[in-house]
Amino acid sequence: MSQRRVAITGLGLVSPYGGDLADFFSRLAAGESAVRYLQTDDLPRPLSIPFVNCPAFDPDAALGRPLASMMDRFAQLGMAAAFDAWDDAGLPRQADGESRDNWGVAWGTALGGTLAYEKGYRELWQKGRERLSPLSVILGMNNAANAHISIQLGLGGVSMSHTVACASSSIAIGEAFRRVRSGEATIMVTGGSDVPQAYGVARAWEALRVMAPGDAETSPTACRPFAADRRGLVLGEGGAALILEDWDHAVARGARIHGELVGYASTCDHSHLVRPEAAGQIRALRLTLADAGLSPDDIDYINAHGTATAEGDPVEVAALKAVFGERAERLPVSATKSMHGHLLGAAGAIEAIATVLALREQLIPPTAHLDALDPACAGVDHVTVARRGQPLRAALSNSFAFGGSNAVLAFRAVAQ
Amino acid sequence: MDSIGLIRDFLKDRLGVEPENVVPEAALADLGVDSLMMLELMFEFEDRFGIKLSSTLKSPRSVGEMVSLMDGLMASQAS
Repeated sequence: MSQRRVAITGLGLVSPYGGDLADFFSRLAAGESAVRYLQTDDLPRPLSIPFVNCPAFDPDAALGRPLASMMDRFAQLGMAAAFDAWDDAGLPRQADGESRDNWGVAWGTALGGTLAYEKGYRELWQKGRERLSPLSVILGMNNAANAHISIQLGLGGVSMSHTVACASSSIAIGEAFRRVRSGEATIMVTGGSDVPQAYGVARAWEALRVMAPGDAETSPTACRPFAADRRGLVLGEGGAALILEDWDHAVARGARIHGELVGYASTCDHSHLVRPEAAGQIRALRLTLADAGLSPDDIDYINAHGTATAEGDPVEVAALKAVFGERAERLPVSATKSMHGHLLGAAGAIEAIATVLALREQLIPPTAHLDALDPACAGVDHVTVARRGQPLRAALSNSFAFGGSNAVLAFRAVAQ
Repeated sequence: MDSIGLIRDFLKDRLGVEPENVVPEAALADLGVDSLMMLELMFEFEDRFGIKLSSTLKSPRSVGEMVSLMDGLMASQAS
């Protein structure tokens, strides 16, 4: 079968800013941080970290009480984002005669229902209870989000979850893309969701010494990718979803096409669990360009992985310089994690949305708080305030995970 | 709390069912109680009243059957 073109017809998220998609992108464009100081009442020591949460998210209102009560928060965030993207695509939630037997879901989550299991441990070990609710298994399972999405939207094709640390949802989006491009699926719901505020998870990340410190006053500027004074990453919770659709199907039903997904590749550094290596990233970037039929000269924006760790940022810039050569100096790059934080398994999805909106709106969102560039990160065109006025034809979004897994997605602008 | 009170509280909390709809003749399925929710309801019941249900117990179909089952169990455990 000949390859199908893949249209992006729906975008949806649970925004840390509390508003809708347009509001989310306008806040990014303004360089506005969603990072806040999080202090919990956990025993024996509370969490005290910069964090991004979604305080306005009301699962009962978004999903209805019966559905929300059958889900852990990661699945609630995922389901809400998927509904939002589905509605944005103009598709009815109830099947309307057309078969959905080959429509599916590919979802990314690094942690899955960790929060549900953690609640179980607390019940058993802290509260001295002897048994757990029978719902614990279905709340905690990593494929809960994609299973709920398939059930709620009546999708009879593949329903799967991808757990690849920080690259989880980029890989989910890429695998969904391949299914639509091959003709195997007409429509795929994809994206990711995660809730890294699980006590044991947040404490584990602290122990790795890669988390940026901050208090009530300094937290909003705690995540400073590529900056000389960067101190590390900021975790965040969230859910983000995209609807990928066979181009002809989208055109036939008159859907709005936000952008086109044109390429994807994934590689492994195969060298170290946490120390990234440029060679693996370079291969992922080149394979993605080849998959998309694009050359480096076609790319007008890179949404960087850019977590603001000491080790990661210079390696990513080195990889970009190797792939883009002399053009790297003029290659616009930004790391939106400076504002929405690192959503782990949802990071690739929220950054894919930022990238698609950058192409659609012809506006590059900045890296916030980048006042003094680290010389080790120099050599690309760091965008530090929103930029308009130069044509954006195609863009890449990078996700480079612990474990050495790299995923790159390539998007092309579609005339609106 | 009596059995019907517990069932009303549970269905209000989990499914948003108004207490006035939780009457003896109402079918549990119509109130949104599927097999998973039934397990959870039994769990809550065991927890609240400190009793253990037999694993071969036949699932009640209406609120009334559920109440009789609960009342019967509490009476037999108390005696």
